Amino acid sequence: MKNFKKYTLGLGLVLLLTSSCIDDLNTEPKGSAKSLDQLLQEQPTLAGLVSKVYGSYALSGPSGPGSTDTPGDDAGESPFLRGIINLQDFTADDMKNRWGDNGLDQLTTANNWDSNNKFMRYMYNRIYYTVPQANQVIGQFNNFTVSNKDQVISEMRFLRALAYFYLIDCFGKGPLLTEADLGSNELKGESTRKQLYDFVESELLDIENKLPQRIGYGQTSQPAVRMLLAKLYLNSEVYIGQNKYAQAYKYSKLVIDEGGYTLAPNFRSLFCRDNDVTAAKDEIIYALIADPIVSQSYGNTTYLINGSLNDATMTALDYGNPGGGTNAWAGHRATKSWYGLFGNSPAALEASPDDRAHLFWTNYLDADLTKRHSYEMTNYKTWTDGYPSIKFTNANFIGTVSPNSFAGTDFPLYRLADAYLMLAESILRGGGGSNADALNYVNLVRVRSHATPITSSELTLDFILDERARELNFEGHRRTDLIRYGKFTGGSYLWPWKGNVKDGTSIPAHYNLFPIPIKALEANPKLTQNPGY
Amino acid sequence: MKTIYKKLLFLLLFLPFSVLAQETLSGTVVDSKSNQPIPGVNVVIEGSSTGTQTDFDGKFKLAKLNKGDKIVFSFIGYSSQTVVFNNQQILNVSLVEESNQLKEVVVQVGYGSIKKKDATGSVALVTAKDFNKGAIFSTDQLLAGKAAGVRITNSGGAPDSGPIIRIRGGASLNASNDPLIIIDGVPISDAGTNPWSLINPNDVESFSILKDASATAIYGVRASNGVILITTKKGTSGEPQFNYSSNVTIGEASKTLGVMNASDFTRFIQEYHPGRTNQLGVDDPATTAVDDLSTPQIEGRILYDTNWQKEIMRTSISTDHNFSARANLYKKIPFRASIGYTDVQGIVKTSEYKRLSYSFKMTPKFLNDDLKIDINAKGTYSNKNNVDEGGAFGGAAVMDPTKPLYGDSFNNKFVGYYQQTSISGNRDQKVGPTNPLAILDQRRGVDNAIRFLGNIELDYKIPFLRDLRAVVNMGLDATTRDYKETYTDNSLATYTFNQGTDPATNYLFNPGQASFFKATATNKTMDAYLAYSKTLTGFVNKVDAQAGYSYQDFKTDGNSLSYRNNVDTGIREQYISDINNPNNREYRPRNLQAFFARGNVDLGGKYLLTATLRADGTSVFAENQRWGYFPAVGAAWKLKEESFLKESNFVQDLKLRLGWGKTGQAALPGGNIQREYFPYLPTFIPGDVASQYLPNVTPYTVGPYEADLTWEKTTTYNLGLDFELFKNNILSGSVDYYQRKTNDLLAVVPLAAGSTGGTEYLQNIGSLDSDGYELSLNVNAIQTDDYSLSFGGNIAYNYSTISELKGITRTSAGGGIGGTGNNLAYHAVGQQPYSAFVYEQVYDASGEPVVGAYKDRNGDGIINDSDEYYVVLRPNWTYGFNMTFGYKNFDLTANFRGQIGGQVYNLKKQQNGYIQAAIPSQSTEYVQNVLNFYDGTASPLFDTYLGNAERSDYLLEDATFLRCDNISLGYKFAKFVGKSSLRVSGAVNNAFLVTKYTGQDPENFDAIDGNFYPRPRTYTLGVSLDF
Repeated sequence: MKNFKKYTLGLGLVLLLTSSCIDDLNTEPKGSAKSLDQLLQEQPTLAGLVSKVYGSYALSGPSGPGSTDTPGDDAGESPFLRGIINLQDFTADDMKNRWGDNGLDQLTTANNWDSNNKFMRYMYNRIYYTVPQANQVIGQFNNFTVSNKDQVISEMRFLRALAYFYLIDCFGKGPLLTEADLGSNELKGESTRKQLYDFVESELLDIENKLPQRIGYGQTSQPAVRMLLAKLYLNSEVYIGQNKYAQAYKYSKLVIDEGGYTLAPNFRSLFCRDNDVTAAKDEIIYALIADPIVSQSYGNTTYLINGSLNDATMTALDYGNPGGGTNAWAGHRATKSWYGLFGNSPAALEASPDDRAHLFWTNYLDADLTKRHSYEMTNYKTWTDGYPSIKFTNANFIGTVSPNSFAGTDFPLYRLADAYLMLAESILRGGGGSNADALNYVNLVRVRSHATPITSSELTLDFILDERARELNFEGHRRTDLIRYGKFTGGSYLWPWKGNVKDGTSIPAHYNLFPIPIKALEANPKLTQNPGY
Repeated sequence: MKTIYKKLLFLLLFLPFSVLAQETLSGTVVDSKSNQPIPGVNVVIEGSSTGTQTDFDGKFKLAKLNKGDKIVFSFIGYSSQTVVFNNQQILNVSLVEESNQLKEVVVQVGYGSIKKKDATGSVALVTAKDFNKGAIFSTDQLLAGKAAGVRITNSGGAPDSGPIIRIRGGASLNASNDPLIIIDGVPISDAGTNPWSLINPNDVESFSILKDASATAIYGVRASNGVILITTKKGTSGEPQFNYSSNVTIGEASKTLGVMNASDFTRFIQEYHPGRTNQLGVDDPATTAVDDLSTPQIEGRILYDTNWQKEIMRTSISTDHNFSARANLYKKIPFRASIGYTDVQGIVKTSEYKRLSYSFKMTPKFLNDDLKIDINAKGTYSNKNNVDEGGAFGGAAVMDPTKPLYGDSFNNKFVGYYQQTSISGNRDQKVGPTNPLAILDQRRGVDNAIRFLGNIELDYKIPFLRDLRAVVNMGLDATTRDYKETYTDNSLATYTFNQGTDPATNYLFNPGQASFFKATATNKTMDAYLAYSKTLTGFVNKVDAQAGYSYQDFKTDGNSLSYRNNVDTGIREQYISDINNPNNREYRPRNLQAFFARGNVDLGGKYLLTATLRADGTSVFAENQRWGYFPAVGAAWKLKEESFLKESNFVQDLKLRLGWGKTGQAALPGGNIQREYFPYLPTFIPGDVASQYLPNVTPYTVGPYEADLTWEKTTTYNLGLDFELFKNNILSGSVDYYQRKTNDLLAVVPLAAGSTGGTEYLQNIGSLDSDGYELSLNVNAIQTDDYSLSFGGNIAYNYSTISELKGITRTSAGGGIGGTGNNLAYHAVGQQPYSAFVYEQVYDASGEPVVGAYKDRNGDGIINDSDEYYVVLRPNWTYGFNMTFGYKNFDLTANFRGQIGGQVYNLKKQQNGYIQAAIPSQSTEYVQNVLNFYDGTASPLFDTYLGNAERSDYLLEDATFLRCDNISLGYKFAKFVGKSSLRVSGAVNNAFLVTKYTGQDPENFDAIDGNFYPRPRTYTLGVSLDF
């Protein structure tokens, strides 16, 4: 009897369990990851999502410098800024890298480009990581009533437009995704360069007056939007075959006249670790933030600084770097196409009054001959061939040094001197204004660095291209500039190792665009390759 | 209620009496060899439904007999015996244990067992007599090579290295391809620690392997890749029996990497890198001379001759002790308990694994045997030193052999271990690879795990419906594990710097704990079902049905501490990456529930039909995608029962099987908690404290997700034939052919630049088609009183192709060959899964590769991506065979296993097999060892391997191999002391390997031969005492 009851009870219990157990199929995360509801409790304004999209231009992933937002890509090699430098400066005349890294040689020598090149893929993936992240935030904000909603959405639209700008500039086409595409599983076909251009232009024009003059350091603002518009218009002939120098003139002028920025008194201060607190910050319109403790990345200025240092011929500690192979990576050197603009020997560089001529490590007086760098880059793989650029440093402008593996120097993506030179160029290209204005702004840039002012007869478009090199090289603009001047492909202008030849050789015209990465083509059959690849 | 009970009681009480009232036959059934009674023997009258089973003492009673009735005694693993009744009162029968017989073997099929001859699905049974012998520390090794189509690859020679098991090649791309493992009715979690080391191999009685869908469908979820049911040994019904067994095993490396010794290396540096000879050996303080290149000697340096691989390895000695007792407590409760202790040394120094295991099983019956209870408890306590084998092997492969093992200079900082250093940036920095012996000696990675697995099964025959049983099985699988990594003082790995500028004092070490984690896994399972079984007269002979509910809940909850060095002081400190989750909680929940039903009918004793339906729900999909429905049907035709074969002496048994079924898969790829457990949910991940951006805001990342993710579904067709030919079971076996199609593959595919962010994510994309053949054969060549000789073998062929990936042509399948994202393998449409995508190397007339030249396969005049082609990496053919020879009390067995086809990528050749590899680009201060260019291990034609050279098929080699898994020789002293018997045995495991592969070991699941813990060759001496 007792037993029977027990087992009946048991069976009953089983049935009871069954019905209540179905609920156990609903599980929820615990630990670090949060659902949207959990996140809203912690951050009602979703500020963390906004910070993330900004960070996408400098950081590699959510969990420190070894993590990546784009799985399958190397965490260190793939951040946005590193891609900008790799694609804009190493492919061009100013900088070379010696590592190879299974694809970097091809960039450095502008040779053998194919859809398998991982460094080109990193850039493409970063663009298409940043765009949907911005879309997500726009989509989320559209669902909430938050006080500064319109401003945040405008900020996101700027960051999205900036990503598309790099798509237009580097790849020339690709799917155009907006917040309207959120949640869609449809593969989107590619938009043309013109369609992308029109989108970016209309977005920027729309948000121009929705953003204040300043939000916070490292955040976008009305002048940053205008700066991007000016860049878009200046390169309009390349991008869409239309001359828009008048607009380029207009927007660079607006940046200069209404932006409230001033040239930093000292050029070098712009590239020091304390550039967020010294007068340099008054020249920087849009900065990509770096910090050795809380914003670590192998793809922010750490890449520029550590990659240019090598204890074999220099003392990394002088640049706020602890040195040794793990910190001083012995990779980048400038070429004579850059430092040759200041003088044709190390002694001439040293003698130049131009502050900008002194930011190359020549070591030409060292007693140990093996520690001297050579002016000529006979072999780009040899560290001592070519002068490392010491423009960017992890030391403070005021001279103090606290060495860190990761740099704390913010990257000035947009700064006022660039606007001056763009204004001058658009004047010379017929966009309006007076040549006297152009001369004035060029000389303001030169005088700041104690270079001799030029006369109006010296002011030519080619001079401006050279001045842009002296002022802006290693800041991610060079390839775009050379293409605008028609000097990137073909044989009219040669530089060391162009086309994988020591003194340079012609490269094909289709190199004005990078190949669409094979992985992107594989993932979306609606995409097509750029011509020539 | 009360009345029903009374009626039942009445029935229960009087049923036996009414039987006793008839004339009865009684007797005892014993084992012919041991004379021990056998419980549970089926005793039936042929051609009727009357029958019984022997009790715990082997006793039976049978009533209502007529003269001439044929009484059949049958039991698993024994030859059946038929006795004609001629009115005797007592009948004692001794059954002969048989080596292999198709007919009466009982296999587990999930929620019940079935005689193999009545099975409609493809089921393989591997029992104790088939097990591999010798040094076996992990249960999977018992099974390697034993069943057709079951490929078991252990991940190397580490003492408890987990196996990768594929049944019929696996049905998924990125979802789990692991078979479901069920130990005594408890499904084991597919996450967490290696389940195969959970049970002591000595406790295993048998494995049932369910391969086709008509067999596995009853498990629905998780069964797409087959099911392995493990049954442990049971208690006895007779006298108590005890066994003590012990093994001593000596192991040594079977093959190491072909790098150079000191004299070859010196010659190599002189010949190819003459400018670097001053970096060989260590500085000779007695002289300021530098090397004179014109002399064969190296001036100014002291050269040592260190075999780094030898220095990090050893001859290992392992021991294993097991004691088990089987008894029948109170003559009522069959009971078995065992305890085992295993202490395995790895052949890599300091690599050690210790395991204490126990098991306990009780199978009492109550209420006149109406209530059967099966109680199991098993547990292990294991302790392991998890060595940094990648670091040690990587270092040993490249460390300059002219460097000393121990640094003898007076100012050596690293307690004796040699390490090259050089002052750089005011710091005395390490140069070159870290001394690999120091990596082992200066670090402990202590991994402790306590695991318990228990279940209680109640099987109750419903008193008022005698054909119906109610079964409830409740199980618990619980593990707690903690891992602590510590370093000794002055250990190379923790050498770091502070901001000081004096290299003599600005360094420090960080001894002690460097990482810690603790995790608890609690897996609860419950099955409840009703089973109906009725034997009938007429064309429908038998009906058998089960229906029930299954609940499985897996939870892993863990914490970890991480540390990093302070950027200023160099001192290691605890590092909190997320201030809201300082202990790094990791929580992994998975819940699975199912309703299932199965029916079997036996028509005329010739035709068997099975139908199964299962509905599965899983927590990893969104509510509207959660449930999957998985049906299966199977049919078997017992040809032997047909009149045209009934009398055949040649065909002893013949059965044709046909099955169809669908199974589901929802075990998502690991490595990412969000993707594995909440793939349908947008989740927000806080940025690490080092990944902040705008000041004072914790950034959050929304990862990719796929709201519509649902079950991957596999459909299998299976056609099989089981046969037994000639008298005395001389030739038996089975042949199977199957076709399998998986749809809605859970594949990690590149995302088109899209709406959810990220570059790749899990989607239900595409289909995978497979087909294959399997053949198992057993030959009993000789069976005499003194001699026995038998052979067994199996061979399987599997061919899978990806038929569709929803417009995508291919997706990366991993197989890293150096560098992030630099993967060899792809899942590509039209190709077998995990195929290499490579260039075709061009060779010159003498057969040497032309460096940098690849075939222009598409003839467009340029060598690019589109000239690469696919090469299948995983083998299509796998096989195993064994031989057992017995002479009187001697037994000799040998087991072989291998694969035909498949390729392995010689990663070491790519990394260390070229001339420039000796002078690494990141530093000009040291040289490192490379593969031997003088004995043909590497070719001096290769100056570098860069770009396309890494993807040349020159680096792929045929992975066909034959491995002699073990050879064992035993002798049994049948009458040792008193009633006891003693078996003494010796075995060699991994005795030899036949292969053309030039690297270390072709048996490699990922087909990339890199830093590899060599599989040891071991020699085992064992004793086993039964008393």
